[in-house]
Amino acid sequence: MEWMITTNEPGKTYLMQGNEAISRGALEAGIRFAAAYPGSPSSEILTMLGHVADEMEIYAEWSTNETCALEACLGASFAGIRSLCVMKQNGLLVVGDALHSASLSGVKGGLVLVVADDPSAHSSTNEFDSRHQSRSAAVPMLEPANMQEAKDMVKWGFELSEQLQQLVMVRTVTRINHGRSSVTLGEIPQQKQVPAVIGEWDRLVAINWFKDAQISKLEQAQVIFKESPFNWYNGPENPDMMIVTCGTGWLYSIEAVKALGVKDSVGILKIGTTWPLPEEFIVKHLGRTKKVLVVEEVDPFLEQNIANIIAYHPELNIELTGRHGQKVIPRNGELNPNVVRNALANMTGTTFTGPEVTFIPPEEAVALPPRELTFCAGCPHRASFFLLKQTLRIQEGQGVVMGDIGCYTMGGQRAGHYLFNFLSCMGAGISAAEGLGQLTRFGFDQPVIALAGDSTFFHSCMPALINAKYHNSNMLFVILDNSATAMTGFQPHPGIGLTAMGKTTEPISIAKVVEAIGCPVTVADPFDITGTTEIVYKLLKQPGLKVLILKQECATLAIRKREKAKVWVDQDLCRGDECGCGRFCSRIWGCPGNIWDYEVGKAKIDEVVCVGCGVCVSLCPAGAIKIEGGEAV
Amino acid sequence: MCGGMELKNEVLASATCALCGACLDWCPYIANIEDHLVLRFDCNVSNGRCYSVCPRTFTDWEAISEKYLPDIPRDFAIGPHLKAYKVKAAKGINGQQDGGTVSYLVKTILEDELAETVLLTGTDDQVTPEPFLSSEIDDIQKSAGSRFLASPGMRKIIEAQNNKVQKMAVVGRPCQIQALRKLDYNRPPQKPEVEVLSIGLFCMWSLGWDFKDYLQKQFPEEEVLRLAIPQHGFEVTTDKGVHELPIDTVKKFSRAGCNYCLDMTSELADISVGAFEPQEGWNTVIIRTPKGQQIFNDALTKGYLISEEYPEEELKRLKGASLGKKTRNLNHVQTAFDKGVKPFIDLNSAYYIQLKELAEGMVK
Repeated sequence: MEWMITTNEPGKTYLMQGNEAISRGALEAGIRFAAAYPGSPSSEILTMLGHVADEMEIYAEWSTNETCALEACLGASFAGIRSLCVMKQNGLLVVGDALHSASLSGVKGGLVLVVADDPSAHSSTNEFDSRHQSRSAAVPMLEPANMQEAKDMVKWGFELSEQLQQLVMVRTVTRINHGRSSVTLGEIPQQKQVPAVIGEWDRLVAINWFKDAQISKLEQAQVIFKESPFNWYNGPENPDMMIVTCGTGWLYSIEAVKALGVKDSVGILKIGTTWPLPEEFIVKHLGRTKKVLVVEEVDPFLEQNIANIIAYHPELNIELTGRHGQKVIPRNGELNPNVVRNALANMTGTTFTGPEVTFIPPEEAVALPPRELTFCAGCPHRASFFLLKQTLRIQEGQGVVMGDIGCYTMGGQRAGHYLFNFLSCMGAGISAAEGLGQLTRFGFDQPVIALAGDSTFFHSCMPALINAKYHNSNMLFVILDNSATAMTGFQPHPGIGLTAMGKTTEPISIAKVVEAIGCPVTVADPFDITGTTEIVYKLLKQPGLKVLILKQECATLAIRKREKAKVWVDQDLCRGDECGCGRFCSRIWGCPGNIWDYEVGKAKIDEVVCVGCGVCVSLCPAGAIKIEGGEAV
Repeated sequence: MCGGMELKNEVLASATCALCGACLDWCPYIANIEDHLVLRFDCNVSNGRCYSVCPRTFTDWEAISEKYLPDIPRDFAIGPHLKAYKVKAAKGINGQQDGGTVSYLVKTILEDELAETVLLTGTDDQVTPEPFLSSEIDDIQKSAGSRFLASPGMRKIIEAQNNKVQKMAVVGRPCQIQALRKLDYNRPPQKPEVEVLSIGLFCMWSLGWDFKDYLQKQFPEEEVLRLAIPQHGFEVTTDKGVHELPIDTVKKFSRAGCNYCLDMTSELADISVGAFEPQEGWNTVIIRTPKGQQIFNDALTKGYLISEEYPEEELKRLKGASLGKKTRNLNHVQTAFDKGVKPFIDLNSAYYIQLKELAEGMVK
């Protein structure tokens, strides 16, 4: 049944995506403030809150970066307003200082920080385990095991946050954020919070005087967690073996116990409050058994903290197994029911005899061709990488290209002719390029190019650009401005002129920012391959810091706004494999819109995916690709 | 059977490329800006036009001479030719180098419709070479004077071909005339023949484009009006006056690829034109083919050119200069071959053996 996130029907149950459940939990907690930076798998949360912001009388913003988001929430919390902050695991590392400081100062209004981890890095450049940060920053953390818990933990997190005067983290993983299950609604309060007056002697300061308070808040949380309904044991009184699990590991564990038919000998201890661990509660249950398997996503965080507890409790005599040492569960990669079942089978000496669940009968299964990550049809990044690659080849100076994080990260692969020499975190490209560019004084004469997208520019490149300018580093900074945070789903950023709540606002011009920093800036169109190649070539010949903005709107966005031009191949002109071009359009240029017509042995346009950008028209040596109609790009 | 990858590995990687431009614009793999010419993406064509036309891939000089300059008396120093003349334009042309002969030969070709279009090189700024095709007599002025910077002018051949030109004239450096001949010599039988009239220039070397940056640094805020090499050195005329650069300073900017050239006088052209060293304002013209003789005669008849008998002692000096380039560069060629560069000359040819002996004799 269809439902609205704002539906006020307590007790009703709906099928919900995890991110919807999280948003709903925040609304049920009566939040009035939400801030986030987009990052899969967390991005939908703020998008949804932004859409209902007017209706629910809340404020929602896509902050310029995660630090801005967390500190904005801290500001709102200072006035007693319940605030939700959302980010992905990499974002949590960006806010490291802010998080540790906020934890020292504490909060006033409830502040819940939802952080979405991406085991196996399905939509990330890397996987990290956010839970270490919670421990390091002394911040209590909850880990939902299903969508219902995701909603309930977020809602309860605000109460806990206010009770402790401390921020609370909720750690999810991709399968929670993007999975769906039934969730029973609670009530959305009608009463709206109003900001409290911040008095002359009110303080929210992060200085070490508050370290004892910080520790005591954590101890208080431990006491509260002892009785938490998010922690329970299910299984025999004295099992041969116990699975201790949290998050998605819980459902996998239930499935494994059932599949192997070992419920009479294996119990499951499910923990929802993974930091600080409810020590007494855990010791009580561990006392029932001699053998423990810990099942959890990413790092052996729970496992090693349980090892700590065991170390402090000599009365426990436990053989502890998990991801540590990789005896039964691999150290790297996302869990799934089979991994957990195999681990349990291994530990219990049982064998799975039931039928494997297959969704397609083997006789009907067709092997999928291997597909590489690539840019969309008409993507301006394809043109940018193409012309940058060829300029570096023409320039013959062995340019070093420092990449960054966004759609264009795919340019490090075939789609971008393997252009990157360097890729780290957001904003690292220009910062590292600044360092390389300083080596000119020691004889380093290779051209240095740093790339960053428009959203990344605002997110984390500005201090680095100032650094590069102030120290006059020898480098070219290329901003790939596609006017979108395209990778995570077109969330607006400060250059767009739109807020998360759909309000228009004055866009910030990247060119003006760059000029104000004192860098001469060139703006060029990546679709003009020849002209822009010459511009890049000339810029590379100049000493010092150069900034180039390659501006062309994301094709997926642009095609929604303009009439599509018709691009087609005049197969009478296309010379097919007789042409010396060696299928240049489909093989080298590689746009998904350029395909090969195997029936006639000539090039062809896939009209379904082609967006009519027309760049390939200028690349065909036979002039066989034609463009007609549509609005000029 | 060789293609783009072989061109890359044998010619571009060894920096023997002459920047004639004959490989450019045929295919989307080879790219150029200024004097950089590269394979921008790896190409999978095993039998490429780029490779077959390149003057730095194997060239059968004897066979090509035999085909295009048959029965013409050979000269070891300045190639097959009928006769040499001392020539100048009857009426000067603005910006001309030496005698202004080339401009009037081109004018004659266009007037007499001996070609539909002429491949010329020139721009307004007198430094930057920019090749262009023209059928307009008024355009000749743009190409007057020498640019000295290497220009890949032969790229324009594809434009002429796309325009379905059947008769064209080319003004080019020795490497470009070589490429022009190879283009026809290696022409696949199904490709239509283009009738070409070639005016070859004398060339010692051409300059890399960093010379342009050097000029800018040396004479900031001056507009270069003319570059010339009179007897005494390298002359840069700007809007502020005439500057002289030592020829050795300028030579440092000559392109590495020019070191492998054994042809000073465009030996495969229909007619070759260069400076007449002993006397400023005059050209040396070498008539090589009957076709060349014809346009030369036409220009004389029209009264565009004045010619004199070529002084015997000057012919000797010219041959000496040409042999000097040959023997000097033979050392570079030999060193390159020894280092593994694939030979682009037939090492067993009588020509090569004679040249080698000559070079060794001169060393002794």
